[in-house]
Amino acid sequence: MIPGIVEGQALVCPKSITGWGGIDPKTGIIKEYENVNRGKSIKGKILVMPGSKGSNGWSCYFGAARVSGAAPLGWIFTRIDSSAGVAAAVLQIPTVVDFPEDRDPCRLIKSGDRVRLNGRSGKVEILEAAGSEDESG
Amino acid sequence: MVRLDDYEKRLLAGKEGRLKQVCLENILRYAEVLGAGQLCEVTKAIVFCGAHNYLNVKPSDTPDEIFSRMNLAVEEIVPFDQTYENCYIQSCISPCDQYEHEPFTQSGEFFKKNAEFLEQARRAGVIITGTCAPYLTGWLPIRGEHFVTTESGVTVMGNSIWGAMGNSDGIEAAFWSAICGRTPKWGNHVEENRAATHVVEVQAQVNSLLEWDLLGRAIGDPLPTRAVPVIRGDFRGVTFQCLRQLCTTLAISSNCEMCHLDGYTPEARSVEDALRGKKPAGTLVIDEQALQQAYEAVCDPGEGEIDFVSLGCPHYDIDQIKRVCDYLKGKHISPNVHFMLWTVYPIKAMADENGYTRIIEAAGGHIYTSSCPGSMGEVFLSNYNGFVFDSLKQAGSIKSETSRPVYFADVQACIDAAVAGRWKVKHRWPRSR
Repeated sequence: MIPGIVEGQALVCPKSITGWGGIDPKTGIIKEYENVNRGKSIKGKILVMPGSKGSNGWSCYFGAARVSGAAPLGWIFTRIDSSAGVAAAVLQIPTVVDFPEDRDPCRLIKSGDRVRLNGRSGKVEILEAAGSEDESG
Repeated sequence: MVRLDDYEKRLLAGKEGRLKQVCLENILRYAEVLGAGQLCEVTKAIVFCGAHNYLNVKPSDTPDEIFSRMNLAVEEIVPFDQTYENCYIQSCISPCDQYEHEPFTQSGEFFKKNAEFLEQARRAGVIITGTCAPYLTGWLPIRGEHFVTTESGVTVMGNSIWGAMGNSDGIEAAFWSAICGRTPKWGNHVEENRAATHVVEVQAQVNSLLEWDLLGRAIGDPLPTRAVPVIRGDFRGVTFQCLRQLCTTLAISSNCEMCHLDGYTPEARSVEDALRGKKPAGTLVIDEQALQQAYEAVCDPGEGEIDFVSLGCPHYDIDQIKRVCDYLKGKHISPNVHFMLWTVYPIKAMADENGYTRIIEAAGGHIYTSSCPGSMGEVFLSNYNGFVFDSLKQAGSIKSETSRPVYFADVQACIDAAVAGRWKVKHRWPRSR
């Protein structure tokens, strides 16, 4: 976990985002051809994903997004893995990881939900469920 | 809290210089995120050198400033001028060919900038090799050896085929480890974490390299985070070339870092051996339909003109180049098609020596080194209207970069398409089973 408290709109990527070219680091827009959120931006979002995916060039794209001001606000990983660990260490944004099997955040949180996460206590709250108009990303 | 040995305490106190101190600080932050209690010594590393496109978010003329901000994640400038003395460090691919820039419509200025990045790494102790296939030049971690690599397929190969110990980490962390010589003792660096978690029953025929590619995707796609599959099936005739294709595609389709192949990989003399007495968390069945779905997800439908055919992801070995020559002899590539093979420059020298380069060039093709289309990106790709690859990884990567058609085929179909200048339905897999 990375400490800190943030609130923001969730963007749920149930199949993660692929490494190497999965996002445009200048804008934070998801480019991966088969991502359900293709065309949406990670910038300023609470990113919810099972873990990392694909190339070992995973953290560097999020790190580049940090440098260009397009980083997410916070991160929720169902289960931490090494690529996600490096990305969290580089971005230093509040991060909560390793949820019980029956509390998978990728199922419980919907894109557009307003979420608060506390990286120190590990608590994640859904403050307001998404209306359909909030889901455009 | 991470327990440190005397060497690590000395680094953390800055007694070996600011660069090693920053790298160890980052490794400790990474270890804290993972929950690792100690570090381990890294003696093999692959690092990602060159003026890669994602670095463009930090406009600067000095490699040290870019390195500090992007790879060390610090605001101060910390020169990259040393590495860990006990570590064998090679460079991964860069965004430029080893020798040429004109065929890729890259500017001479960019090629020079890339060379400066490589020179910075060379001075620090990195052997400039420029390949995603470091084993072709002797980088081979042995069983139990701790390694880091920026090539995801090599992470899976290192753990699975050689019994070495490594995690996927990332580009920044590979540099940190190559410089300070440490990585968190976590994940695959810990013996008991290497047991299989899922059993995969392969009921499909898997023979060609393309089918091993498809198998990697078919297994990887449904795998949960940090799963370790043990794969069972009729794999008579499997070769290292097959396994490296499997590992490469498995890695990019999931976050899998290790797989066992029943009876073939060293920690899987049997399925029970790979499971180490644990009950599997799940079972997957891969049939012909699963391979077909994997193919259809990557290869675009229809027919059409093509002008770009690329072979060699991972970089070809000399045997694969020879086989291309055998099939290509007497044929001529369409003048509208840029036909290319990718490898590492010492293998290119072998191709020159054996006459393979001459055969490929006489047919209208080229052998390039040290990079790949996906790493070169838009400056190269935007010149073309129809793409054909013999690699699922490369095809998938380019599909995220372009809206133009991208096709995926076995080597012979790729060559047939390059000769015809056109992608036809008959090139699709399966061709004749």
